[in-house]
Amino acid sequence: MTATAAPAEPVEPAKPAEAPATDLVCKGLVRWHLIMAMFFMVTAMTWGFLVSFQFLGVSPFEGIEWLSFGRLRLLHTNEIAYGFLVNGFVGCMYYAVPRMTGKPVASAKLGWLILGVWQLILVLMSVGQLLGYAQGVEWGETPTGFAPGTWNMNYVPVDFLIELGAVLVAVQFLTPIVKSIHRHQYVSLWYLSAGIIWLILTYVMGNTLPEWTLPGSSGAATAGLFIHDLVGLFVTPMGWGLMYFFVPIILRKPIWSHALSVIGFWALAFFYPLNGVHHFLLSSIPMSVQYGAIISTMAVEIVVTTVVVNFFGTMWGRGDALRTNLPIRWFYTGMVCYFITCLQCMFHTTLAMQEIIHFTDWVPGHAHLVMLGVFAFWILGMTTWLWPRMVGSEWHNRRLNHWHYWLTVIGLLIMFIDLTAAGLIHGFMLDALSPWMEIVRAMHGFWAIRTFAGGMILLGQILFAWNLWKTWTGPKKPYDYRVDLAVAADAGGE
Amino acid sequence: MLDRYTGVLLFAGLGCFGLAFVLSAVYPWMITDGTRPEASIEAVATPVTTEFKQLKESYPVAFAQAFPRADECLTDQELVDVAADDPRRTASDGAWGAAHAVALRAGRDEYVGQVCWHCHSQFVRPVANEAVRFGRVRSAADDNNELQRPVLWGTRRVGPDLTNEGGRRSNDWHVAHFWDPEGTSPDSVMPRYTWFFRDGFQVVRGIDPELAARQGLSSEREYAYPGVFETQAEAEAELARIRESADPNLKAETARLRVVPAKGPDGDGLAIIAYLQWLGTWDASEREETNQ
Repeated sequence: MTATAAPAEPVEPAKPAEAPATDLVCKGLVRWHLIMAMFFMVTAMTWGFLVSFQFLGVSPFEGIEWLSFGRLRLLHTNEIAYGFLVNGFVGCMYYAVPRMTGKPVASAKLGWLILGVWQLILVLMSVGQLLGYAQGVEWGETPTGFAPGTWNMNYVPVDFLIELGAVLVAVQFLTPIVKSIHRHQYVSLWYLSAGIIWLILTYVMGNTLPEWTLPGSSGAATAGLFIHDLVGLFVTPMGWGLMYFFVPIILRKPIWSHALSVIGFWALAFFYPLNGVHHFLLSSIPMSVQYGAIISTMAVEIVVTTVVVNFFGTMWGRGDALRTNLPIRWFYTGMVCYFITCLQCMFHTTLAMQEIIHFTDWVPGHAHLVMLGVFAFWILGMTTWLWPRMVGSEWHNRRLNHWHYWLTVIGLLIMFIDLTAAGLIHGFMLDALSPWMEIVRAMHGFWAIRTFAGGMILLGQILFAWNLWKTWTGPKKPYDYRVDLAVAADAGGE
Repeated sequence: MLDRYTGVLLFAGLGCFGLAFVLSAVYPWMITDGTRPEASIEAVATPVTTEFKQLKESYPVAFAQAFPRADECLTDQELVDVAADDPRRTASDGAWGAAHAVALRAGRDEYVGQVCWHCHSQFVRPVANEAVRFGRVRSAADDNNELQRPVLWGTRRVGPDLTNEGGRRSNDWHVAHFWDPEGTSPDSVMPRYTWFFRDGFQVVRGIDPELAARQGLSSEREYAYPGVFETQAEAEAELARIRESADPNLKAETARLRVVPAKGPDGDGLAIIAYLQWLGTWDASEREETNQ
């Protein structure tokens, strides 16, 4: 007998009262991590929105070195990765892991320490990048604290602090998981524990080797491995791990097939790490390695298909939840985006498409679809579900959450289509030897639409952040869990 | 069933990661960069580019402040009267190499710190007519040096590729472009890098009013002498020196010399230009052949 992928015990409180496992989950930690996640989401998006004006010929902070385009752009990507995603995932894990293992995390005190240390790291990272101490590794521009490629210290070694922070997170969450290892493990816990360990490995590899040991093409191969492993071996397992917990909880039915979920996990573990080099195709990295990356990237489609089929199988017969339940709508919108992203990836990793779309706006379009459209959607969905439970109050304004959803989804859709089209035009003009400035002029209209779409998305997040804050600090209103459980009620679950 | 071997499978998770690391990072290293030692910055700094020498001629004050042994670096003009066996020639060669290495390191650090590599690639591919547009395709040997650690290939081209940028444009073009990209490339979306410049004073010579009238030029027109000095007094001293050393027949010309407030690239500006003018000039394949 294998474990079921969905928790067997009801974890939802039977009555709209306090959850029975109050001590199991430290609500304060969930709240603060989610608040910090939203804080960094809004700030990172503000930077992205502001720097997008540079493309329209309006320099937002002209003549100020530390607020220059390049440096704010770093903050946009890095605060999303280490500020929003990490805080969001850790916050949701503080709820999910104790619920699944039946054991509290290692220590609540350690939790507060991690919370504080991590925000300090983020401040140091942002300040360092604004001052020009960024590292020349894509997505790992967190300051090493040393002049490039040397051991001459010039700033706080943020890289090492992040590694330390990641180890503390591992101690915090692996403790309950290891304590309950004699039981059958939910597939969710496999994903989460693997994701934590892979984060440490990936981070150490990507931020040390290309900087201090491997030059040139082998350094690029490692940097590519880092870019992709951070997405594939940290963000993806965290995201799916939490989906395997939250979707069955909210729909109140087990995952459709445990076997498929195990296949999905192992296919991810096996194929994802090999993908990295596909970020530098048609380069001086040995061709055999490039072909290997292409083939394994295509193979990842197996993972995607099994997992997505599994989740839509779970949804089977409960389609009305998409209408009635906002968190579920966030989750499944994210899964559709995930499927599109991965399908797109399977095609654009081929050399023929790389020839055209590499170096163009197609890639930022793809990146926004996966980072915002998938993982941010999931964190936003989980936050939408968790927040009333964590602060013990009904939403300040439920309608705002719907505005948040539609502004974000429509904004993302516009941005994705716009950047994809821009990328194709840029790529073909490049191939056709159009004069460089002609290409730039052809992009101006697309960049204006991108700024508009970014504004929509940013507005959505600001509404949501305000709603979160008012729900927490405003007068407490009794929260009726049945609103979220409309689906379960239909199914006779309550 | 798989759940019974959780420990084994956890180990397999690490194994998959390790396997991927060996196949995607260690194996390429074994057949490219691992086959010969990485070139140091000092090695790639020679030969010194012509443009770097011109930087000293155009911006002697900032140059002397930014780079070591600048006074030993002799420009071609200064070497005209120096005998072939004069020890100053060898000293000059060494000084140029040392100054260039310092400039390249500082320029690379600026390139990383200003995040130039997010919008400019250093990665010419053998497809999409890139060799026609940008020049020689990038090879593994080009990157096996300390300046490409961390590697700066980039993944996005909002601006053009810079692999073979060295020598394509003049120093003056780069200075004007950093001050205001739209001035040299209309509709460019590149930000202005005004912090690569400093305020100072410069000696200029006004145009001959008669000549200006004859040619239909503005009588305000003036020609700058190299060197942006920090204080007005230093610039006045330079003016006196120029006037003194000028041919007595040019009295009318030297009478029109004056000191005006000016802007010029600072040490960071010179370093990034030196780095850009170096890109693509160091041919690793040539080095290979001479070594063998």
